[in-house]
Amino acid sequence: MGLVQNVVFGLVQGSYIAIAAIGFTMIYGIVNMINFAYGEYLTIGAFVGVLAAGVLPLPVAALVAMVGAGAASIALAKLFFTPINETGPVPMLLTSIGLGLVLRNVIRLGAGRSARYYDTESATYEFAGVPEVPVGSVDLLGNFFVTSRMLVVVGCAVAVFAILHALLTRTDVGIAMRAMSDSEDLARVRGIDTQMIRNSVWVLAGVLAGLAGVLLGIQTNVSVTTGFSQILQILAAAILGGAGSPYGAIAGSYVIGLVVALSTAFLPADMTGLSSAVAFLVLVVVLLVKPSGIAGEEVREA
Amino acid sequence: MSVADRIRDGDGTLAAVAGVAAVVLALLFAVSPFTVGLPGELSVFVEVGVLFGLYVILVLGLDLQYGHTGLVNFGHVVFFAVGAYTAAILAAQDSFAGTSLGYPWPLALVAGVLVAAVVGAVVGATSLRLRDDFLAIATLATAEIFHTVTVNFSGTFGGSTGIFGVPQPVAAVAGDFGKTMLATLVLFLGLAALTYAIVTRLTTAPYGRVLRAIRADELVTRSVGKSTFRYKMQAFVYGAALAGFAGGLFALYNGAVAPSFFTIQVTVTVWIGMLLGGASNHRAVIGGLAVIMGLRLFSRFANDLAPVTSGEFASLRLIVVGMILVLVIRYRPAGIWGDAEELGVDS
Repeated sequence: MGLVQNVVFGLVQGSYIAIAAIGFTMIYGIVNMINFAYGEYLTIGAFVGVLAAGVLPLPVAALVAMVGAGAASIALAKLFFTPINETGPVPMLLTSIGLGLVLRNVIRLGAGRSARYYDTESATYEFAGVPEVPVGSVDLLGNFFVTSRMLVVVGCAVAVFAILHALLTRTDVGIAMRAMSDSEDLARVRGIDTQMIRNSVWVLAGVLAGLAGVLLGIQTNVSVTTGFSQILQILAAAILGGAGSPYGAIAGSYVIGLVVALSTAFLPADMTGLSSAVAFLVLVVVLLVKPSGIAGEEVREA
Repeated sequence: MSVADRIRDGDGTLAAVAGVAAVVLALLFAVSPFTVGLPGELSVFVEVGVLFGLYVILVLGLDLQYGHTGLVNFGHVVFFAVGAYTAAILAAQDSFAGTSLGYPWPLALVAGVLVAAVVGAVVGATSLRLRDDFLAIATLATAEIFHTVTVNFSGTFGGSTGIFGVPQPVAAVAGDFGKTMLATLVLFLGLAALTYAIVTRLTTAPYGRVLRAIRADELVTRSVGKSTFRYKMQAFVYGAALAGFAGGLFALYNGAVAPSFFTIQVTVTVWIGMLLGGASNHRAVIGGLAVIMGLRLFSRFANDLAPVTSGEFASLRLIVVGMILVLVIRYRPAGIWGDAEELGVDS
């Protein structure tokens, strides 16, 4: 398999990580917590989507999944996170770890261990006749293919980026979000209803998680670990981009997606399981060299 | 309940005496000609008791890091695993998967502690300067990386099968199963009591006061001339080394290591035990651990009565465990026996 094909895979993976990472990083920037249960929001979205897709056409089912995950996100926030908003980042992180454990097992009890699949048809576009440029065991160009599913994923991601940009720069709520992300106290002084903004971030993050969950489910399958298996990559992407910065998260997601895909290409065949470890390795190196990430603020304590 | 529980919070002298006595007693019993038959119903208690001894060592190390110094280490299991794998690889003989070098076991145990300490130092060097919640993520990621590495590098770590053929010194001396289990139980509880004595000695000394000052306010501590990074690093490495020691003991008791023994479950259990009891109080964290492991023991029996499959029951148990974590943080942030004022939390 050529390098071009792996770059295609990397862009696709980067796209759904990016959609989720935006939600994750906005919770971080505005609610000021690392939400480790966020992967479960993706799983909820994927399950709502797969159930809805049984009776509705897929695009409508995806919308239902986004609404469902958004509702779940705000409900969970009201129940678990809003009451302890003032206690600081560590208790909230620990709470989210406990909540993730609870959600994962509730879903496992309800849905069982078997995987479900979206019933979709996918067209494949082959690009043959690309010259091969072998360097060692790796082919720098090579034939590649693109499926219509991949195009849908990348298209959704681009649409999300455009809508998000418009939201953050053109609407009052979006501008208030950016203000709160910079300084919560000053935003409150200026008359912004901070709790209302927090709630809208929870809803937005849930909606994005729902969409990412459905896309992930279409690409792979829907099971209890669908979202959990992505949480560390989402986290790595968000921190790589500079925690709290949505634009940084987009850049970080594509870096992570490409690194994972390319490491799969370069690693020996029996070690492809290591590709996710490579993503965390990138994360640790980033924390070591530039903990503020690509676009973010300082996170060093000392 | 371990020996350490009944001892009043002092300078740990009594715990040290009790610990030495228990270790000597266990060794004497192991070499003595006496035999005991362990009834089947009791063996599950002894098994959980042995595990409890190891977890006490883990929770004391974690409490040194989080309870006293305020370092949020959410990858504690990685040091436990590193100690266990190091000891297993060095001491195992003719394991059919992974590497087995066949060195004497005391050497392997010491190496386990040292390698865990080195890994702790490396992780600490990369992430101790970060904000609290980022340290949690860095340690969590480290645990995940190590887990992936053990599964994938089957030439060294034996893949998901793990490493077999680790010598079991206590079993080799004691002979039959019942005697081995009892001797191991007393030995491990004794070692846990010794750990308690050492950690208590450390934290009641002026050294411990500096650690707690860092937790309360790092800037102030640095402004009175303490090198806070060095203290944080030391506390982190001590905690890691203790976990490595527990890991080495586990490998030598169990006779085998595999990735499934070292999941995030271990970290979560130890954390909940610590928070439930009350961080920064050694007796309290051991008490909290006893509660959470008692729940586990109870749930084993409850499973036989409940009309669900064991898979479903495991999920139910994890739901309860997760809810306990959430509720403790919300309603009793200082834990059952913890001191809210000392910890600086509202309860």
